[in-house]
Amino acid sequence: MKTIVYLSIFFSFLTLSASAQNIDSEIARKSIPVRRITIEPAIGLEPMSDLIISNLVQLNIKKRLSIVSYTSYSYNNAMQRDFSYIKTNYNYTLSQKFGVGTSLYTKHSSHTFSLMSGIRYDAYKETLENPDFEKVSASVSSLSPDLGLLYNLKIGKKKYFFSYRMYIPLYPYPIISSDIWSLNDNLVNLSLEFGLGIRLK
Amino acid sequence: MSVSKAHLFFGQQKRQQQMKKLIFILFVLFLASCKKEVFNPDLTMEFSIQSTTNGAKYDIKIALPQNFSPETEKYAAIYVLDGEENFDFVAENCKKISSDFSISNVLVVSIGYGNDRAIDYTPVKGGGGAVEGGGGAEKFMLFIKNELIPGMENEYGADSSRINRTILGHSFGGLCGAYAFTNYNKVFGNYILLSPSLWYADEIVFKFEQEHRNINKNNHQLVFLGMGEMENSGQMLAPFVAFFQQLQNNYPDIIITSHLEPHLNHRGSENPNIIEGLKFYFQNR
Repeated sequence: MKTIVYLSIFFSFLTLSASAQNIDSEIARKSIPVRRITIEPAIGLEPMSDLIISNLVQLNIKKRLSIVSYTSYSYNNAMQRDFSYIKTNYNYTLSQKFGVGTSLYTKHSSHTFSLMSGIRYDAYKETLENPDFEKVSASVSSLSPDLGLLYNLKIGKKKYFFSYRMYIPLYPYPIISSDIWSLNDNLVNLSLEFGLGIRLK
Repeated sequence: MSVSKAHLFFGQQKRQQQMKKLIFILFVLFLASCKKEVFNPDLTMEFSIQSTTNGAKYDIKIALPQNFSPETEKYAAIYVLDGEENFDFVAENCKKISSDFSISNVLVVSIGYGNDRAIDYTPVKGGGGAVEGGGGAEKFMLFIKNELIPGMENEYGADSSRINRTILGHSFGGLCGAYAFTNYNKVFGNYILLSPSLWYADEIVFKFEQEHRNINKNNHQLVFLGMGEMENSGQMLAPFVAFFQQLQNNYPDIIITSHLEPHLNHRGSENPNIIEGLKFYFQNR
């Protein structure tokens, strides 16, 4: 049910944004913060205590059509690296995605919704170091597709502006499992990021 | 407003209405696709047992095979922990996989929550994780052994041999399954352990395994160990691999496999691993 609630909120937000845009269209036409190229470094969090450093580059081809590049490094499981005699040797994720988005404008802000796709590389290694048992290490490295929806909010009209973004992963659902509960698991990787945007052009 | 402007205005309004309709239809279609599958109710029995061992009341659901005939046939049984969540999925896939392999189907026995799962599925109190366990696994296993299994054998034609009994559990349920392996090995012959919380209480199950190894090591058993490749929360992979190695190296009559479900996390890997575990069971039983 949690999943349905999340997606309901997302779809409602889309609809509301579309409505809001119609109301504000007259104001927006007069003064909209349309930027040609922006670069937006940010830091963020995933719910499972992962820390993210990311950068987003957005190129507005037209007022309502943009191309987006998103690069991130995630230091996973930052708060619990050693636990119950299990040591985390390393644990990180690298991701590079590209996407196409559309923007809605208000007087001082813009909302961009992008469909992103790319690849991610996950690597982690753990060692069981319980003195009562044999020491065992195990590692995983995995390259996988990355597909998701990116919402990007820019607030401010000048060269520097506040940037907020939320990434909702869509892979592996529904590609691997047709079960709705898998989506819950996917949403563990939902990320929230805050940063500073710079208008280059 | 001139005619051309009015035409443009009404055209825009129409497009906006169409867009809203499209979003609404897509949303309704999405909700419709979220329906959880339900096993055939005609082949499902439901009842409750008030345990005399731990005082809890357990809702039991049983998926019966086609042409169920307990008077003339004996059936292998799979006991499913977290049954309220997993029953339909396990029952449906047992039916499908047994049919694919042309093997007779089994009884799927779902055990609901009598106590909190953190009580019933944990072997000792505490544990060290975010959820403190209650240490009720011993009483829970005694409930299964002394109250549930005899009922299944008397009323539903469940086979009384150890090798025809399987326990399936995920997470704390997987921990409980591992505890059944170490401390109640005479009860179950087959184990489908999915993302087991083997880290629990400083890997207490490893200690139990060492203590009971001499008693258990010559028993024939099937063990499927599965988890998600992306369970990188810092506590799952190393004990999973260590447990696999410990069983593989010390039990001469064991058939064991481990499986990492690609790209999936703790919860997401559960159902794909149930399917893999059932395939392993039906192929090797």
